[in-house]
Amino acid sequence: MNSDTITIGRDDQVRNVTIGGTDALVFLGGPCAIETSDHARMMAEQIGFICEKLDIPWIYKSCYDKDCRSAPDSFHGVGLDEGLKILSNIRTEFGIPVVCDFSDADWAKPTGEVIDLIQVPAYLCRQTTILRAAGETGLPVHLKKGQFMSPWNMKNAVRKVEATGNRQILLTDRGTFFGYNMLVNDFRNFPIMSETGYPVCFDATHSVQLPTSMGDISGGQREFIPHLVRAAAACGINALFMEVHDDPPNALSDANTVLDIKYLEQILAQAKAAHELRLELLDKWGADRVHLDD
Amino acid sequence: MSISTTDLKVKDVLLPPERVPALPPTTLLKQALEEMNKYRLGVVCVIDENDKLIGIFTDGDVRRLLLKSQKPFAALFVDDIIVHATSTFTSIGDTASLSEAVILMEEKEIWDLPVIAESDGKFLGLLHLHPAIKAVMDI
Repeated sequence: MNSDTITIGRDDQVRNVTIGGTDALVFLGGPCAIETSDHARMMAEQIGFICEKLDIPWIYKSCYDKDCRSAPDSFHGVGLDEGLKILSNIRTEFGIPVVCDFSDADWAKPTGEVIDLIQVPAYLCRQTTILRAAGETGLPVHLKKGQFMSPWNMKNAVRKVEATGNRQILLTDRGTFFGYNMLVNDFRNFPIMSETGYPVCFDATHSVQLPTSMGDISGGQREFIPHLVRAAAACGINALFMEVHDDPPNALSDANTVLDIKYLEQILAQAKAAHELRLELLDKWGADRVHLDD
Repeated sequence: MSISTTDLKVKDVLLPPERVPALPPTTLLKQALEEMNKYRLGVVCVIDENDKLIGIFTDGDVRRLLLKSQKPFAALFVDDIIVHATSTFTSIGDTASLSEAVILMEEKEIWDLPVIAESDGKFLGLLHLHPAIKAVMDI
């Protein structure tokens, strides 16, 4: 039986977060890359303050290795050991679960011993060794839909994780290639991926990415983030993913797509309101089963 | 001593589970179609973990599905077979007489009749019309 809700939090050092069903919308957020320990702590504190104020359960996201940068000299990350040390400190100091991706199957085990939710990068969502390694950590797996994947074919990726005995999966849409250097969001992806029985998430900041549109780096149209967030929350998601930064122009990764933290509160507040309104409407009108049972 | 055709029971003529596409409910539709080809039968029997028959999917269901579904083939192919299987189907007990089974197949206009053990309700196989007729006619 698949889990229509998953619980994130490996021990009692962090506040458990449940994603799915009719539970509250969960926020997954943080800077794309771990830059320094002080920066990671500062971001956790600021995001935590906003989420506390809005009463939104959240998970800190940041990665120690960015293996899919466009250029060979782009910032690659602080590395496995330093990154895990910083994430470990974040979770114990702030009492929040953390999520991080990995792009080498050998990194799954050490990463899985520290974090709470293990993420499979979108570009690697077909890679059997990566999916197997993620599943074998025993942690809930955050599985991002590749920009090149149809939503129904994510079932194959899901089955690779399930083959390890792991049935705690979160499926995320981060946009779909629309020709070259362009992504679009197909909101049918959420109900389609929900057919797996697992909760679904919307990655708003990567969705506005223009992949490698600037030659050796990716561009992005951040102005569309609030529009897409409201649309996704109204459509039906269980979690919202956004990378945030206090100084986007100088962010070491995804500078053109990360959301300036000064906008985080207004976007999260609207996402939460749209999510709660959707649940109210479902309660009043029943589940969305139009023409499914004819 | 040979059995008279009038004494033949369903269990004497049925195709056992290993000779029919008997598949778990999470089998992908595409795999189910391949199994139908492999066994050269126009039916899939969906079996649960307790060997109980929980659904039937036939060539006719494929035709109706293709005409009704507006999904792309790639999406349809990865549906679980149980989503499209019929859960209300005709079946017969293993100790029923063969002639009774053939009459039932004629009435229902079906080529394959699932056979269920009367003792414990488990799926025992399929009665396929061709061998059934052959046995009845004693040829």
